[in-house]
Formats: sequence, structure tokens, C-alpha cells
Amino acid sequence: MSDCCGTPKSNDAARSCCGGSGDKIVLLYACSGGANVAEISDKAARELMFGGCGTMFCLAGLGADIQGMVQTARDADLNLVVDGCPMDCAKNIFDRQGLTNYRQIKVTDLGIEKVKGIRCTQEQVDKVVAKAKEVLSNQE
Amino acid sequence: MKKLQVLGTGCSKCQKLAANTEAAAKAMGIEYELVKVTDINEIMEFGVMVTPALAVDGEVKVVGKVPDPEAIQDFLK
Repeated sequence: MSDCCGTPKSNDAARSCCGGSGDKIVLLYACSGGANVAEISDKAARELMFGGCGTMFCLAGLGADIQGMVQTARDADLNLVVDGCPMDCAKNIFDRQGLTNYRQIKVTDLGIEKVKGIRCTQEQVDKVVAKAKEVLSNQE
Repeated sequence: MKKLQVLGTGCSKCQKLAANTEAAAKAMGIEYELVKVTDINEIMEFGVMVTPALAVDGEVKVVGKVPDPEAIQDFLK
């Protein structure tokens, strides 16, 4: 749960990390599927959240059409979607909900191969976090 | 009667949203019940992670923003 009035307490710290965004509400979503790229997306989203770049939010809730969650995404200043692979599951959920206020990054676009049954590395997570910060900075 | 629920833990923005909501309802002359939902767990049951928020008859209409009374009237029609 974010702090009252919009943004998590930790945001102040990472506004410097993301370039500063005032009271902007940034929500982060990971595809969190079964392959290594999904683990990377999940870990990257959590690192971004704990670094104060936004609030991680529930992609499953959007897919399940939970009304309050859809409205939360609709009213956010930016939703950053971290998909693992070209199936674009997270992006497709946003599209099906008619939400356009999002940016997508894709783990496999960063040269990381999708493989089942292996753990991700911190180096891979760092790569996605860096890309996400670049996208967030460009949204300022 | 419309049930108007202002979701938030009680900061100034939450209070402003409650005041604007009440002003909108009064301007429209509708019957309403205004409830301030301050319990975080109860707020999360709405699927809301950012406050303040406004729910009308159980449907979340706005999240993380404080619209003016004129804009809120659109949610009450």
C-alpha cells in the first residue's frame, strides 16, 4: 500500500535515481511468468520499487478485471510494463483493458534468452533495471 | 441513495476529496451517504493502492487525484 496521497515513502529517495517526478504516480508491473525472463522481470520491478522508482502493482488483478485495480492503472501518470518475452502478455492485458498510459520494456529485447528451468543472474536484472530507469527518465 | 466512499487515511488531500465530493452531491441535490474509509486493509479490498480515491456505490471512480466538484458530478450521474 502506498503512503497516503499517492506515492510510496521510498519514492523520495529514488526520485533522484529516476530523475525526479514530483507527485507523479508510477506503477510497475512484471509478467512474472514461469521462465527465467519472467523471474528477471519480477526482480527488476521489485528493485525499481524498493529503489523508489514507483509502486509495484498487480498485473493479475488487471487481467482478472478487478475494477479498482483497473481504475488505479487508468489514473496513474505512468504504468511501466516489464514483459519477459515476445508473447507480450502484460502489454496485451493493458491493451485489452483499453489502457494507453503505459510504456513497455521487454527482457528478451535486451539480449537475454528465454530459457525454462534456470535461475536468472543479478547482471541480467541490473540490465533490465537500467533500461527501465532510462525509460522512466525519458518520461519526465 | 448513493453511497460515496472516500478512501484514504485522512491526510489533507483525502479531506479535500471528501469536501469536493460532498459539494458535488449537494450541488446535484442527490441523496447520499458519505463514508470515509480509513482502514488500509479495507482500502486495499477495493483494489486501490494509491490514495485518495473515491468509490460510488462500490465502484472506484478516481484514484490518486482530487478532482474539483464539477468533475466529481460526472461520477455521480
